Formats: sequence, C-alpha cells, structure tokens
Amino acid sequence: MTESILFTAAFVFYAGALIAGFSSLFARREKWARGGLVLTVIGLALHTAALVLRTAASGHAPFTNMYESLSFLAWSVVVALIVFGRKSRVPRLAPYLMLIAVGLVALASSPLMPKDATPLVPALQSYWLWLHVSVTLLGEAFFAVAFVASLLFLGADTEEKKERLDALAYRAVAVGFPLFTLGGLIFGMVWAYRAWGRYWGWDPKEVWSLITWFVFALYLHTRIVMGWKGRRSAWIAIAGFLAALFTYFGVNYILAGLHSYA
Amino acid sequence: MRSAWKFFSSVKLAIVLIILITLASVLGTLIPQGRSAAEYSARYGSLASLLNGLRLTRLYQSAWYLGLLLLFAVNTVVCTLSRLGPKWRRAFGPAPETDAKAVASMRTSARFRLPPPLAAAKDRLAGRLKSRRYRLDESVEGQKAVLLARKRRLGWFGSDIVHLGLLVILAGGLTSGIAGRRAELALGEGQMADVPHAAFQVRLDKFETEYYPGGGVKDWKSTVTVIEGGAPVLTRVIEVNEPLRHRGVSFFQQSYGRDWRGARIVLELRKPGDPAYSRTVSLKAGERAAVDDPDITHVAVRQFVPDFVIGEGNRVQSRSEEPNNPAVLVEAWKGEGRIFVGWIFAKFPDFGQGQGTDPMAAMRGKAKAESPEVAVILKDYAAAPFSVLEAASDPGADLIWLGCILVTAGFFLAFYWPPREIRVVLDETQGRVDVTAGGHAAKSREAFQAEFDGMFEQIRRPS
Repeated sequence: MTESILFTAAFVFYAGALIAGFSSLFARREKWARGGLVLTVIGLALHTAALVLRTAASGHAPFTNMYESLSFLAWSVVVALIVFGRKSRVPRLAPYLMLIAVGLVALASSPLMPKDATPLVPALQSYWLWLHVSVTLLGEAFFAVAFVASLLFLGADTEEKKERLDALAYRAVAVGFPLFTLGGLIFGMVWAYRAWGRYWGWDPKEVWSLITWFVFALYLHTRIVMGWKGRRSAWIAIAGFLAALFTYFGVNYILAGLHSYA
Repeated sequence: MRSAWKFFSSVKLAIVLIILITLASVLGTLIPQGRSAAEYSARYGSLASLLNGLRLTRLYQSAWYLGLLLLFAVNTVVCTLSRLGPKWRRAFGPAPETDAKAVASMRTSARFRLPPPLAAAKDRLAGRLKSRRYRLDESVEGQKAVLLARKRRLGWFGSDIVHLGLLVILAGGLTSGIAGRRAELALGEGQMADVPHAAFQVRLDKFETEYYPGGGVKDWKSTVTVIEGGAPVLTRVIEVNEPLRHRGVSFFQQSYGRDWRGARIVLELRKPGDPAYSRTVSLKAGERAAVDDPDITHVAVRQFVPDFVIGEGNRVQSRSEEPNNPAVLVEAWKGEGRIFVGWIFAKFPDFGQGQGTDPMAAMRGKAKAESPEVAVILKDYAAAPFSVLEAASDPGADLIWLGCILVTAGFFLAFYWPPREIRVVLDETQGRVDVTAGGHAAKSREAFQAEFDGMFEQIRRPS
C-alpha cells in the first residue's frame, strides 16, 4: 500500500517537473527549470523508495511484469536525465525526456497493467534477472536520451544548438549501446544458457534485440567511419530507439515467444 | 584477389549488409518460424509454398541468411585487418619525422622556453610526462630532441577487439550448429539412461515439484546421480537455472510430465439391477484384471488420457499433460462375451458410456454411463511423475563466452579508454631551449586539454 502511495507521489512530482520544465521553456524563466530539476530529484527519491519497498515486499527484483518494468524503465529514464541533464547544456532535454518518463509511469498506472506482485515462475528465479533486465532497461533509457536529442536536432534552428544536440545524442548512444549490449545481449545469452540450455534460440525478442543492436551499430559506423553527422545520424538514432521500444514492448503483445511472461 | 580484398574492405558493404541482415531478421519475426506445413497453408494460403521456397519459414537456418552472416564476417575481418596497420604504427610504431611547426599546429599545443642544457630540459619534460603515465620514445639529434609520449594505446584497438569478439561469437555459433548435440531424457524416479554421445549414465533418484501457497509452480528439482562404469560418481540436484555440468555435457531441467501411459487406475463396478453391489478394481492402463464375479469376469483398460478431447477425424487426443479431463476407455467381459465398452470420465460420471464395438458411436449417442449388466466409475487415477532433462554438449558455448568478454572489453576501450598522444620538440639555441608541445586525444578533449595545460604549467614557471 505504502509502495503505491510513494509511486503516486513520485508521479505527481514528475508531472510537476514536466510542467515546470515546459513553463520555463515557453516563458523563458531559468528559475523554473531549476525548480523542475528539484522536483525531478524529489520524484526520483520517492520512486526509488517505492521500488525498494516493492522489492522488499515481493522478495524479487522489481521488474518481473509489465507494470514493474515500465516503472523501472521510467526510473532509468529519470536517472539518465540527471546524468546528462546539466552537462548537456540543452535546456529542452529535461522537459521532453520527462514527457517520456511521465508517459511510462502513466502507462504503468493504467488499469490494464496488473500491479500485483506474483510469485516467479521457475525460469525467472535467478540473479541474472537483476543483471539482465536492469542493465538492459538502463541502456534503453540512454537510447531515449539519444531519441529526444535527435528529435530536437531535427527541429533545431541554429547551428550551435544542432551541434550540441548531435554531440548529446552521440554521447547518450556511447553510454546506452555498451549497456544494452552487455545487459540485453550478453547477460541475456548467459541467462538463457543457464535456464533453457541454449544461449540463442531465434526467439522474437532475441531477434529484435539483435535488430536494435544492428541499428545502433549502423549509427556508429556511418558516423565514425563515414563521417555522417546531423540529420542522417539523428534519423538512425530515432529508428534505434523505436526498435528498442518494440523489442521491449511490441514483441510481448504482437509476437509470441519465450519472453512472453514479461 | 586484390579486387576481392578491396570489395570486402569497404565499410559501405558493411552498411549494406547490416541493413540487409536487419530487414531479413525483421521478416523472420513477422513470419512464425519452424511450424508445420499445414499451419502455413492455413495461415498464408497459396503464399505458403512461396514462403517455404524462399526458406522464410526457417529463415535463421537458411543458406541465404547464413550466407549474409558469412559475408558480414568476411567483411568484418577484411575491414578490421586493412585498418590495423596504420593504427598499429600510430600506437606502437617509432616516432614519425616531425618538427616544431607541425607540432604547433596540433589541436592542443603550447610553446615555452626552458633553461639549458638540452638534456636537463628533456629530462624534466620526460619526468612530467612519465608521472602522468605516458610511455616515451625519445630521439636526440645534435641540438634537437623529440619526445613522443603516448598513453592508453590499447584504446586504438577497441573497435578491433569488438570485431574480433563478434567473429569469435559467430565461430561459436557455427561450432554449436555443427558439433552441438542435444537430447531430451525423460526419466522417472529410479530410472537410468545412457547419455547420448557420452560414456556415462544418469539416474534420477528423486523428482520433486515445489508449489507456491497460491498453487503456482515454484521449482522443479531433480536429484540426479552420474554413473560411470557402473559406479556412481556424483549426485547433484538440478533445478531450473541450476544446471549440472559433467564431462562437457550440461544437464538442464527442461520440463516435467506424468507417465500417463502407465497410469494406475481404480475403477468401481456396479450393477444397475443391484444397488448394493460394488466392486473396486485396480489396474494399470493397457492391462486387464480379473473380477471375482460370475457376471463380470474381467475388465480391461484400453487407454487413458489425462485431458480428453476429440480432435481431427474424430480421434481421441489429450489436449495437455495435465489431468483436466481424465478419461479411460474400459471394456468389461463376461467370459468370452464383451458386455461393455466405453469412455468413462472422472468429472462426468453419467456421460458418454455405452455398449457396442465402436466406443465413438456410443460417445455420439451420449448413452448413459451403464449397460444393462454393468456400470463403471473412474474412481481414481495416478501416474508417476517424470522429469525431462536436456542433455546438451555445446562445444561452441565457451567460444561464445570468450567472444562476449572480448566485445565487452572492446566496448570499454572504444568508448572509455581514448588514447592520448603528446609530441614535444626541443631546440637548443643561443643559451636557451625552445620547447614546442602538441597533443591529440581521440575523445574527451576537454579533459585532455586540462591534463595538458596542467602538465606544462608547472614546468614553464622558473624554478
């Protein structure tokens, strides 16, 4: 019960941060942006407490069903925002990224998502659950940063803004891609081998994580070796985040497979 | 040969291949893989044969998909090798010819003077660079000295190590595909089985299913003993996520089931004309048992299904391995004459029995659960649980882990271990030493600038 109160409170603070952020953009008030950051940090603290309480109550990692993993992804997006928020010198990043975080929390709170902590099926009882899911979702949160930066790039008007957004997107991919590779693909293979006896089985979720990986590999190769920057890079980063989103979300609802319990 | 090398050394080819593999992979997730021909024709109609012809129904094992992966592997090897030479020289090669002018034009640079002699000035600079963990190459020619300082040189090779890791992973996948062996062992408690492709046996000592209070399955635990040459060598509990590995064979808890074919069945026999009459008979599926009665001499259980359903062609099937709708096909005899045949349902004792030679005809007629001579009730049924273990020898797996380690290490080097290089030219003229220093960092240039400035700041001040 306390957990859901904390979760709701976090949602309220995130929503407040979102409103403060956009107000600062449109009213050009620097102060409100700082207020938004304070609200974000308080929201994150409450959200963290909610996740800890849920872990304590259920006795397992807080990402074993859609509600839990959406909540954890939102948490990761906020963490990624705090990591990149100030350093990036892109004032627009925070409110747009909060839009994603608030959207995820709202989706998690929707009545369609069963919120009960259910006992784990045998295959999920492993410490690899922690490593595989948390590192993957954290990586995807940084892809979300690259996604927002790339969208903002496409709408930016000055060269200076564009350069910053392009660099921000690249830095976010430079954090997200290794995390996603390690958590999603490598830890996933290790766990699949322990639980199912094979490290790779062409399960739709496995294939889609490979597809996501290929899209970001494309991003890096076109950029580093062929010198693509700007618009084309931005489109690839957007495609990469959408692929990651589909891997996380779409595969569960559209394509059937072994991963269908999460 | 040379043109092939040139073709494969192109990054554009890599990009085309990445796009093709990605699109093909997407296609493979949209079309369900490895189903039966009947399912495809039901789903896709006349398109099914086309999909099958293009191997889109077993895409990831198809020659053209594997061919694309192979091309990609060759492309990766050639691309990596063709770029390795210059990088290697940059990281480990001797200092190239340089002069003050070239050094001054580097992205980060500084010019200052130091007191003579040249050797002392050079040693002071070398000391500073070494204290920042730079590796030095020095050359002195008359009144001129050049220092080449490099650190994090492995950072040049991050992407190469990632590529090597990917190739090792592909090699691992290939090894698994060619030399991997897997077999399912279904064992009841006390049963022993030869492990395929290995010179030992395994025996299932005990099999337990643990449940949560709510009823869901918590865990399956198989206590297994490995037997070599007739002697037990080790006993271990295998659980989901806790495989046993022995002599290159891994045993995974795969699934479980019940031996319904050999189910123990308890039947109650009654006579419609005699309400007081009741006999219990216990027998196994497929057996017949004598009944000590002149009117019913014996009964037989022809078949038991745990989850009765009528499938295609009016055939009786079991929908699952769970006893959701247990049913038994029973015959009763009086001497040489059959007095009853029919399906008996544990959950519907009044449904679907009948007389005659065709039990299905009785089903359709929904006759009562009795004939004039006898009524049969399915009282109880039980089947020994068995554990399904997967015995897999996968010689590719270790290559996969090695590849994963290389990829991880390569990522770290590529993104977080950027190499740095500083060149210093010292020139002694007219009682002073002119110093020109220039530096280059592959990434995080601001941090490098700070290090660079900090290092030379102290030296520039006269001491």
